[in-house]
Amino acid sequence: MSTKAYITGTGSFLPENVITNETLAHTLAIEPERIFKSSGIRSRHWADDATATSSLAVAALLAALEDARIAPADLDYLLCGTMTPDRFVPGSGAAIQKAADLREIPCLDIRAACCNALYALQVARALVVSGAARNVAICLAEIQSRYLDLNPEAATTSMLFGDGAAALIVSAEPRAGSLEVLDVLLATDGSFVDDLGVRCPGTAFQIQRGTGVPPVSEDQRGTGVPPVNEDRGGTGVPPVSASRQDWFPRMNGQSVILQASRRMVAASRSVLERNQLAASAIRWIVPHQANANLLAQVARGLGTQAEVVSVIEETGNTSSASMGIALDTLRRSQKVESGDYLLLPAFAAGFTWGAALCRA
Amino acid sequence: MSLPRAAMDFVNENAESNGVLAPGRADDLFKIGALDSFALVDFVTVLEEHCGISVPDADVSPNNFRTIESIERYVETRRAEH
Repeated sequence: MSTKAYITGTGSFLPENVITNETLAHTLAIEPERIFKSSGIRSRHWADDATATSSLAVAALLAALEDARIAPADLDYLLCGTMTPDRFVPGSGAAIQKAADLREIPCLDIRAACCNALYALQVARALVVSGAARNVAICLAEIQSRYLDLNPEAATTSMLFGDGAAALIVSAEPRAGSLEVLDVLLATDGSFVDDLGVRCPGTAFQIQRGTGVPPVSEDQRGTGVPPVNEDRGGTGVPPVSASRQDWFPRMNGQSVILQASRRMVAASRSVLERNQLAASAIRWIVPHQANANLLAQVARGLGTQAEVVSVIEETGNTSSASMGIALDTLRRSQKVESGDYLLLPAFAAGFTWGAALCRA
Repeated sequence: MSLPRAAMDFVNENAESNGVLAPGRADDLFKIGALDSFALVDFVTVLEEHCGISVPDADVSPNNFRTIESIERYVETRRAEH
């Protein structure tokens, strides 16, 4: 049984359709340069309406399998991280298992939003170290564009998000170019549960009991009209207490910025300290790609000269997928050298946050 | 009281990097571009280090830090509570 776990393969996938700030400017009534200045984002990719999240995940998974030089049949566990699943139930892992032609392995969805990569890494490492699995696939994918409020009053939130996917293979045996997963630290403070996230559908926000599932409407992307609020001949009953805004991403910007910048730095310091490492030992910081200004703030807070890997300018915030896309980009750049330490901090709705430590 | 030099330097340098003039005492720092949500987090750290106060997370809101005058009042209040 291995006592170590390694990231042996990475892959990523972005939908073809590129949405620039200029494209969004008219819809959201915001200057393109203001979007860039406040977020570091110039464009993002949005999937078309015929695409499901699992299909992005499968594309990334196939790339990661190729990178790890293993076959789909070699996988014995699948972890899927998304907050925009194909279906409310079951988790998207099942659809990925079918589409990627995997064996009848366990498929587990994780719902920790932008910390999905860290939670999945922690679980994958535990599975490998415990001997429960030898090759674990982590799929991280989002199609957020379909759920954005494209009205000007939501501009500062909706301008941020993009679609995309990443996949990691965590294995018991290393191979050339692999990264040892040394440690993953995670924490949660649920007192901020409504400062970031999407409330509905959720049982804390009622719809009328016994009326059945709200009708599936035709594409209403960007209209600001959630399907559940439409009355379709008496079959769809609006929620009793959920408001229109509850169906869209909500973000208390000041709270998120404050907590994210402090918590990510604190978690990074803690994970370094318990591994007897100074911040100066870190060569690469591969953070969740929330906002370029936040990434810079975290690096300043750590007081390190490490290079911050950023893909946000061309991807936007792809939530679950963002850290994996950044890690895949870094690995494929061939810049990582043997012995390099990588720090992976993230912050997510909940709030939940943490940092992982890897060594090349 | 007036703010310590380090705090004023932070505001003035941030204003300059955003292409605006150094703010007056009653100017709205967020409106004129001398502070924004990200800079506020760093600014609070400067205040904590140089004014000998601790700023609770719940207080880190533009409302408490909107003008130089309101920041001075806030710092005084925090000092008095200790």
